[in-house]
Amino acid sequence: MRWTRWWRRRPLTCPEVARLLQRHLDQEVPEHLAVRVQAHLEDCRRCGLEAEAYQQIKQAVRRQGQPLPPEAVERLRAFAASLLEEGKDGAGGPR
Amino acid sequence: MTGTTEDRSRPSAPPTTLRRVAASPEEQGRTSIADDEAFRQFVVPEIETMLRVAGTLTRDTGEAEDLVQDALVRAYRGIAGFDGRYPRAWLLTIVRNTHINRGRRKRPEPAEDPDADLDRVARHTTESTVEASVVDIVIDDVVQECLRELPRDQLRIVELVDVAGLTYREAAEKIDVPIGTVMSRLHRARKRMRDHLVRAGIGPGRSRR
Ligand SMILES: [Zn+2]
Repeated sequence: MRWTRWWRRRPLTCPEVARLLQRHLDQEVPEHLAVRVQAHLEDCRRCGLEAEAYQQIKQAVRRQGQPLPPEAVERLRAFAASLLEEGKDGAGGPR
Repeated sequence: MTGTTEDRSRPSAPPTTLRRVAASPEEQGRTSIADDEAFRQFVVPEIETMLRVAGTLTRDTGEAEDLVQDALVRAYRGIAGFDGRYPRAWLLTIVRNTHINRGRRKRPEPAEDPDADLDRVARHTTESTVEASVVDIVIDDVVQECLRELPRDQLRIVELVDVAGLTYREAAEKIDVPIGTVMSRLHRARKRMRDHLVRAGIGPGRSRR
């Protein structure tokens, strides 16, 4: 009985964390397990770096997935062109 | 794209006659023909990247556009002093510093003296910012490339979970597959990106390989 309880709370190993890592970062791991994963990530540099890498990937994917408003890009291109235009007259730029 | 421009730091050494050697005070704000060319070559192609980064900083499309506009003005004024190396990193540093300055302008009341903090940030930002920008750029490039090569079924799940923010269960219901399939596709896709990053020299494996 006591052994079972210890087993459920024992520190996770690196391979266990590796298996849970992506689910953990997606917040798909139950709370009681998430706490143990988090504890391991804070203690283990190797797994911590791994977690950071996946976090960065998630963020980068999110950035890619949000399309830029094409009108804004157009306006900014026009603005850049106007800087070049007005720079010739010594003005610091439009506006 | 980045890093390889060292040898062509400026559009092939401009004829000296076209270059104004030193701008007199009343000439400041004006640029030489070579500088205009540098602006066209290095800055204009990066407008989309600048806007993307501005979007992550401001979390508002209108704000982001204003921020890039200010950054473009700064880049235009600073182009004469830019050596042509790592144009993206240079521009993203400008975007971030402009963002910090805009934040300062927006709340001028020193209620709890937030400016002190901002000053500190501004002073200490530059170097680490360049590094962080470079890393962000590499990650974005690698991820973009990976997404393009990803099998359709994996890409779909990545979009649903990471872009649309669905849970595994919601994603599974949306495309009518078991939740285990969602997990395996998603995790395989990310693993692939992670391996690419390691190969690109960033990521957790860098010190061991
Ligand atoms: Zn570990």
